[in-house]
Amino acid sequence: MALNTLEFECKAEAASVRLAAPVHYGVVGSGDLEVILEPRDLEGAVTVKITTPVAGFDAVWRKVLETFVNRAKLADVAIDINDNNASPAVVSMRLQQAFAETAA
Amino acid sequence: MANWSKLQTRSFLESSARDRAIGLVDEGTFTELAGPFDRMSSPHLVALGEAVEFDDGVVTGVGRIGKRPVFVISQEGRFIGGAVGEVGGAKMVTTIDLAIGFADELRAANPKIAPDELPLVAISFETGGVRLHESNAGLLAHAEVMDAFQRARGKVPVVALIGSRIGCFGGMGFVAAATDVIVMSEFGRLGLTGPEVIEEEMGKDEFDASNRALVYRTTGGRHKYIMGDCNFLVDDRIAAFRGQVTELCKLPVGDFEQFRRIGSAALVEKQMRAVALAAEMQPKDAYDVWRRAGNNDPAGLGDAPVDDFRKQAQRLSV
Repeated sequence: MALNTLEFECKAEAASVRLAAPVHYGVVGSGDLEVILEPRDLEGAVTVKITTPVAGFDAVWRKVLETFVNRAKLADVAIDINDNNASPAVVSMRLQQAFAETAA
Repeated sequence: MANWSKLQTRSFLESSARDRAIGLVDEGTFTELAGPFDRMSSPHLVALGEAVEFDDGVVTGVGRIGKRPVFVISQEGRFIGGAVGEVGGAKMVTTIDLAIGFADELRAANPKIAPDELPLVAISFETGGVRLHESNAGLLAHAEVMDAFQRARGKVPVVALIGSRIGCFGGMGFVAAATDVIVMSEFGRLGLTGPEVIEEEMGKDEFDASNRALVYRTTGGRHKYIMGDCNFLVDDRIAAFRGQVTELCKLPVGDFEQFRRIGSAALVEKQMRAVALAAEMQPKDAYDVWRRAGNNDPAGLGDAPVDDFRKQAQRLSV
């Protein structure tokens, strides 16, 4: 029972939004997660790294992250997540909250 | 980042470790050290397949209150109940040592430096104590923090702030007791063995952990204030905790000795008198002790608004 690390890359269809500064949001409570969004030169792509005790939901993670990246039109961002059994809805919400923090 | 002015009116109880840290010091002065972007997670939790946090559940940094550099340590209860492991413990120790080192430097550079320009350490406790996953490393972290308090004594005041959801229990209850001064809200709880553990070990007849009123009048801020286990009882707002720390910031380090509960032969004597009193009284409830302290209507006092409580409460003297 090791901690799982999931890494992949995605690209928003209309990638145009870049971050001015890195942001950290959330606490790794039970059923919750924290996320770091950092600007990084990735030729328009977004890299994702997820550290989680959960196994077997790789496809769901990918879907949730791709949806977020597409909606936010993110480009050149490294996303780093520490998860503790958050549901896809919570993951989605925290990502949006973190993104909202960058605009604040 | 959270809006500082809004943080001031926020409930301390409901605030995250980071918001408490930012709101405690002057606006815009908080600089986080070894923060989430440094990604100092626990290697032990990784090995066990347990979720990790980038800051290992402890926010550390430095800010200012007036002219005074304030080194802040703030524990996050939502991450494994604020339990302290090796990395979080090392962050605590390093922060205290930074404060001591800075105090030494400032004194060396200017022997006539004003007392309110020298560093102070403020620790916002929210923890159940040792992170059991890290066993000896977690225990050692507790000992190292206490050791750092000894190094700080007479050089840098250490202030404990307790008013968060998890309270301050287990080994960290000892650690909090070893600080110079303790500030609590009525929602803060302080103790060694937490209510659930007492019930588990001794049975529901001994202590019913589901009885919130019982839990609070035994471990909560009001009781600790009457017992002398906490020095100041403040409202449940970040601004109220900040206000009390601001007052303390005006004092030279020598003045903090008067607030201590342990650390001298006289204080040991006093603790022993309290133990003797408990043996003599055999109290069945915290209110028995409140009455003994001179509070004729303990239940009324317990239910009174906290402002009235502060005005009326008689504190136990032994």
